[in-house]
Amino acid sequence: MKRIVTSVLMMAALLFGGFVDLNHAQTPSATGSKVGSSASSPLKLSLPVVEGSVRFAVIGDTGTGTDKQKQLADWMIRYKQAYPFEFVLMMGDNLYGGESPQDFKMKFEDVYKVLLDDNVKFYATLGNHDDANQRFYEYFNMNGEEYYVFKKGNVSFYSLNSNYMDKRQLKWMEEQFAKDTSEWKICFFHHPPYSSGGKHGSAEELRKVVEPIFLKYGVSVVFAGHEHFYERIKPQKGIYYFISGAGGKLREGDVREGSPLTEKAFDKDMSFMLIEIADDEMHFQVISRTGETVDSGVIFNRRKGAMKAAA
Amino acid sequence: MITRSYMALVLQIYMPMNGKITTSIASILRGAVLLLLAVSAISLLSADAVKGQAHEEPQTSKSVETDKMIARFEGRVKEYAVLRERLEDKLPKLPKESTPEQIKAHKTAFEELVRSARPTAQQGDLFTPDIAGYIRATIRNTFKGRKLQELREEIMEAETEGVTLRVNYTYPESKELTQIPPTLLLKLPQLPKQVKYRFVGSHMLLVDRENGLIVDYMLNALP
Repeated sequence: MKRIVTSVLMMAALLFGGFVDLNHAQTPSATGSKVGSSASSPLKLSLPVVEGSVRFAVIGDTGTGTDKQKQLADWMIRYKQAYPFEFVLMMGDNLYGGESPQDFKMKFEDVYKVLLDDNVKFYATLGNHDDANQRFYEYFNMNGEEYYVFKKGNVSFYSLNSNYMDKRQLKWMEEQFAKDTSEWKICFFHHPPYSSGGKHGSAEELRKVVEPIFLKYGVSVVFAGHEHFYERIKPQKGIYYFISGAGGKLREGDVREGSPLTEKAFDKDMSFMLIEIADDEMHFQVISRTGETVDSGVIFNRRKGAMKAAA
Repeated sequence: MITRSYMALVLQIYMPMNGKITTSIASILRGAVLLLLAVSAISLLSADAVKGQAHEEPQTSKSVETDKMIARFEGRVKEYAVLRERLEDKLPKLPKESTPEQIKAHKTAFEELVRSARPTAQQGDLFTPDIAGYIRATIRNTFKGRKLQELREEIMEAETEGVTLRVNYTYPESKELTQIPPTLLLKLPQLPKQVKYRFVGSHMLLVDRENGLIVDYMLNALP
């Protein structure tokens, strides 16, 4: 059976003009290592693909409808052959420049049609270019809410509205976190609490109000966008922060050189992330518009580790 | 500053005199001058202190009067929220999994309903001068120095040029929604979920989150 599956996967990969590294020759490292730099950009999966794991992709600031957005989406589609992710987190700025039915079609539906047809679910958050009515859009799965939570396996995903972090939302967060027994709590929203971006930088006022709550309730990972590049922030007070905001726009060279926040950054081209959570490990791989893997690695759920130790 | 000036003046007058004039008339004169200067200094200092108080903006630390003013504002906004809820109930409910066409149609119809129901609405209906003063003071007290400069830069960089400041006009979908700093939101009067604060340049707007209508606005909220 395994052979048949392997053959089918190989055939599919060949049809797409690349190959699948089924042996996962690139082992993720604890600090993240750059792998796969070939110009022909064969698929080089750095994720373990463990049975029963939670598999998803992360994109941000996508809504342009440009050829480059489509080129990046093509790599998502190709990688899905090797790594069948179930859903995609969207970091906001889902539609730039308008909210007409045509905008939804050109800047989202057409670009990700193959994934949508393949029943991949997109979970959106609102950016500073997004009308709040997007929360009713069928393919954004926001259930009519500006902020919401959903569960996959042992992971809770919190989509927050960083455009408008008021008392009501903070209260909702506390209530949800307090009753959440998931091993992983992951938050995603538009504005990054930590960033080395030259144009925007860290959303410090946001950080002041959300970070204490994240720490209190054991949030492990935060994904954000807004900055049009990729950045993996050095863990801050035990929380891992990622920026993935180059899904449709690029602000080339915007990451401040020598920033003390940066663990790894990529601002030369657009990118998306692939994530796999298996037990207390979260593996990640970041892929550029040309198919290069520009970052990869694994992080551990400290909260769960602590729980294990206590037991 | 004033105290230092008066001390200097007193010393200038007193020191040359000391040891040179020895008559009792001179002593009396000297004493009178000193007394006069001291009284003037005290009265001027007191006046300055009173003037300082008078210049202060409405206090952001809440007093009973402030609480009442905020409650009145929140009441006015709530009144709007109740009206627009009543109007929205007349429309077919927007499903949680709508098509873009359904979203557009709902928004357009909703806009028209609310606009028609508030034909005489005008600037200042909700943002009355007292609450506008309170909001300006709150912003000024929350953001100072470098923080204020950063806030200004962020707001001014936002793509909001061309937004027409007019009650009952729609906030254009193509324009950016400037993030309101959460630290400020926590200090501003709380709004019902249907209405949001929004910056356009240095001005502050109240915008309906579903139909996008500008419910009210105040000028120069940002110092």
